[in-house]
Amino acid sequence: MGNYVLKRIILAFVTTFTILSITFILVKLLPFERPIGGDTQQIAYFDKQVGLGYVYRFETEQFDYGDLLYKTPTENGRAFYYYQVPVMTQYTNWLKNIFTKWDWGYSKDYQPNVAATVIIGSRIGYSIRLNIISVIFSVPIGILLGVWAALKKNTMTDHIISTLVMVCVSIPSFVLISFILKIFAYELGWLPSTWPADTAATAVKAQGYIIPVFCLSFGSICGYCRSVRAELCEVMESEYLLLARTKGLTRRQAIMRHAMKNAMVPIFPSILAEFIGILGGSMILENLYAIPGIGKLFITALKYKDYDILFVDMAIFTTISLVASVLLDLSYSLIDPRIRVGAKK
Amino acid sequence: MEENKNIVTFREDDFVLVNQDKRVTDKKLETKPTTFLKDVFKRFCKNKASVVGGIILGILVVLAIIVPIISPYNITTVSTPEAFLAPKLFEAGTGFWDGTRSREHVVYDTVNEVPAVSDKYSIAALKQSIVEIKIDSEPTLIDSANPYGQAGVAVIATDSKVDNKNAVMSSKAINFDVKNEYKLDVVFSDENGVSSSELGEYAVYLKSDDQVIMLRDFSKDYSPLSVDISALIKEAGLNNFRGSIVFEVISSASNFQYILLESVVISAGEFASNAEDIQKVSFTDATKFVLISDTADIGYWACTGRKGIHNSEIYYCDYVFDTYELVYGDADVVTYSATELQSWIDAGWCSYDYKVGPESFVRLTDDCPIDSVESQTLKTVTKKLSSIDGRGYGYRKLGYDEPPKFLFGTDVSGFDLLKRAFAGLRTSLLLGVCSFAFCFPFGLVYGAIGGYFGGNVDILMFRFTEILGSVPWTVVMTLCILHLGNNFGTFILAICLTGWIGTAGRTRSQFYRFKGREYVLASRTLGSSDMRLIFKHILPNGMGTIITSSAFMITSSIYTEASLAYLNLGLQGKQSFGVMMSSNQQYLAVYPNLVIFPAVIMALMMISFNLFGNGLRDAFNPSLKGSE
Repeated sequence: MGNYVLKRIILAFVTTFTILSITFILVKLLPFERPIGGDTQQIAYFDKQVGLGYVYRFETEQFDYGDLLYKTPTENGRAFYYYQVPVMTQYTNWLKNIFTKWDWGYSKDYQPNVAATVIIGSRIGYSIRLNIISVIFSVPIGILLGVWAALKKNTMTDHIISTLVMVCVSIPSFVLISFILKIFAYELGWLPSTWPADTAATAVKAQGYIIPVFCLSFGSICGYCRSVRAELCEVMESEYLLLARTKGLTRRQAIMRHAMKNAMVPIFPSILAEFIGILGGSMILENLYAIPGIGKLFITALKYKDYDILFVDMAIFTTISLVASVLLDLSYSLIDPRIRVGAKK
Repeated sequence: MEENKNIVTFREDDFVLVNQDKRVTDKKLETKPTTFLKDVFKRFCKNKASVVGGIILGILVVLAIIVPIISPYNITTVSTPEAFLAPKLFEAGTGFWDGTRSREHVVYDTVNEVPAVSDKYSIAALKQSIVEIKIDSEPTLIDSANPYGQAGVAVIATDSKVDNKNAVMSSKAINFDVKNEYKLDVVFSDENGVSSSELGEYAVYLKSDDQVIMLRDFSKDYSPLSVDISALIKEAGLNNFRGSIVFEVISSASNFQYILLESVVISAGEFASNAEDIQKVSFTDATKFVLISDTADIGYWACTGRKGIHNSEIYYCDYVFDTYELVYGDADVVTYSATELQSWIDAGWCSYDYKVGPESFVRLTDDCPIDSVESQTLKTVTKKLSSIDGRGYGYRKLGYDEPPKFLFGTDVSGFDLLKRAFAGLRTSLLLGVCSFAFCFPFGLVYGAIGGYFGGNVDILMFRFTEILGSVPWTVVMTLCILHLGNNFGTFILAICLTGWIGTAGRTRSQFYRFKGREYVLASRTLGSSDMRLIFKHILPNGMGTIITSSAFMITSSIYTEASLAYLNLGLQGKQSFGVMMSSNQQYLAVYPNLVIFPAVIMALMMISFNLFGNGLRDAFNPSLKGSE
């Protein structure tokens, strides 16, 4: 078992590393984008890039390094010329920066010359907070609905819940957000129509959470409801539950002691994975509701063509999705004694 | 025991051969034979929700194909006048889906008797478009000068608390000659309502270059002032006085000081030579006065302090107007040049003889943009036609033969939302089907190889898909679009890069399920090749499940396309559903139809596809047979 866990984690590391490397190279292969600002900003930016090893600086004009990126204004007859470093050299420099200094580059225009890690750090809190709250809401509601539907299987209640879940799962998130905004923010005016500023009163800030949390938990509530119903229905038809009833347990006792425990086995790992995985799913929501999280940062960075920030953001999303899948795998085998993943036959 | 003995004897002719002279054949089956597909269809039809889903899906697909072809409206050239028309299905006035919009709490223009909205439309057109209007019975009192306000009191206030910076409001110099009778009537108000200031001490006087005649000395007396100016001038021993009327408010260090003027009226005898000046200096409507004196070039009053308005009366109204009437209704008279008219005559749209005049205008075809000619202008020298003033319907000018009807309304560019939505849906469907067509065979073959051969081949192949599958789709799409631009081909490529993984996985699991079966073994013992086993024996069994599950890829690519538009990476160069929706998102508060209609279509599409797909998948799954 320990061997398997170790293997799985090492593999996840290798995978993450490979994907990030490919992403880095693909991002660096994009045409070089110069910052928008004046000479001071240009020089500051290019000097940072020289420090990172992504750009060469020469005192004379060069002809073997491709197109000239930038030339400083001539001063005392001296000027600096900047050229792009070959991509593979940039890649080795990137590895060096990360492993020795944990330096992920600097913003170009979004917040000129601020370290990417600082920018991400200032924003990731919003996304995490939002996701934690929505998981806290969606798990109990989803499970309750699912259990209810399963216990009332093939009755009106079950049909209504299942149909609603079916319909709700099909509605794309941006459609849902549009409707919610239209009804609760514009028509009724009960809730703020955008994310309240940090300086807003606590009550307003709390209200600001309602729409995004609802929109985020909506999908997962449906998801949980569906899988809990399916699992519980399957368990309810199993022989050991029949045995439990025949030996004299009431229906309630049989369900609470035997059915629920077994039905929850596949659900818990997915909650764990969801806890992390949902982070990546809120990009559109963050954009529509103007939440200053990392999803919104992705779009802002894309708008500014601020590739360093974009890359770090993508790296976070990739890592999150990989970690989630590893956790899902591992927790299955930890929770469910029937599954011995990786065990020899 | 003896009596119970009963001996039965059979003779040969007791037996008759049943089928002696008949042919014995198998009876024909009374039930109809069924094939796998027929069975699937039968079981699918039992699932009512799926059938309904299938029908709705079918209708949407058909609409997506035919609406962009048969709809006559343009969705390519921007037509600003037609922007934001309301959805219209019924005739205006029916109150529901009739192309009307209601507006609440809009300033009412009491002079023109229309709601004071943008001057993009003429008063006549506005008036015509109103279906229903409810004007407030009581005016609302406001403290700002609104062009549609009236009455109220003018505020003359000091704008500094430093002493000796009095607020001085003086009129233009007026020539008062004693031959006429000049009278000044001023009505003050003593209402104490202006915030953070108080009613102050003031004086009213006549001021010429060298002389001052006091009309009311510095005091806090706010009773109406009525003085005979001529008499005062005579008293001062003058025949003629040229000067201004001045109101002066004394400043105070403690607070801002102000006075309130309801009206200032100068009356003169009927022979006064400067009646016009006098009239301009007088005012009874303080709102108008404040507005006029705000413009420098008129300058009948000049003020060194702050001047403003208090309790100006303004009426608000709630009204419903027909957006179509406003744009396509009876237009105002428009001047057309003779060359334009000539081109219509040449095209055979109308006939006109300028020598006869406007009555000679005859409208020949529906193409002609005008209905009648109001008047004509001739060139001064040659006496030839220079221009005509024509009257016509708005829709003709915009190039329609009859007033259009937009079922979903129009968007910011004046495009028909219905046509745009279905044209976008068509692109999305095309994208989905194309990427499915590329991904499905690839995923099928990949999964088949992995699933069939198993072992190290399988481990290697599926380790690779695992790695590829764990890259978030946003990252894949973004990188593709940044490198290759956001065109249709890139979208297909980007979707296909990861889209086949699902199919491959499903195929693999189907292969694991069937490859150990006896019939496969039997075929293998008979010497079948791997190809034959894969494609003839294993694949057909799992095909139904694989296809139906993989078809969900179509919905997911529609969803992907729309989501990307929300991330500002929308599809360019083709009508796109996502781009349309995300660009309309900003009008959600004002023109909700622009978002709601596409959203409903999208949701309907997804729901019906899922219902249909789930039903089909269950029907194709032989193991579920009989369980329903």
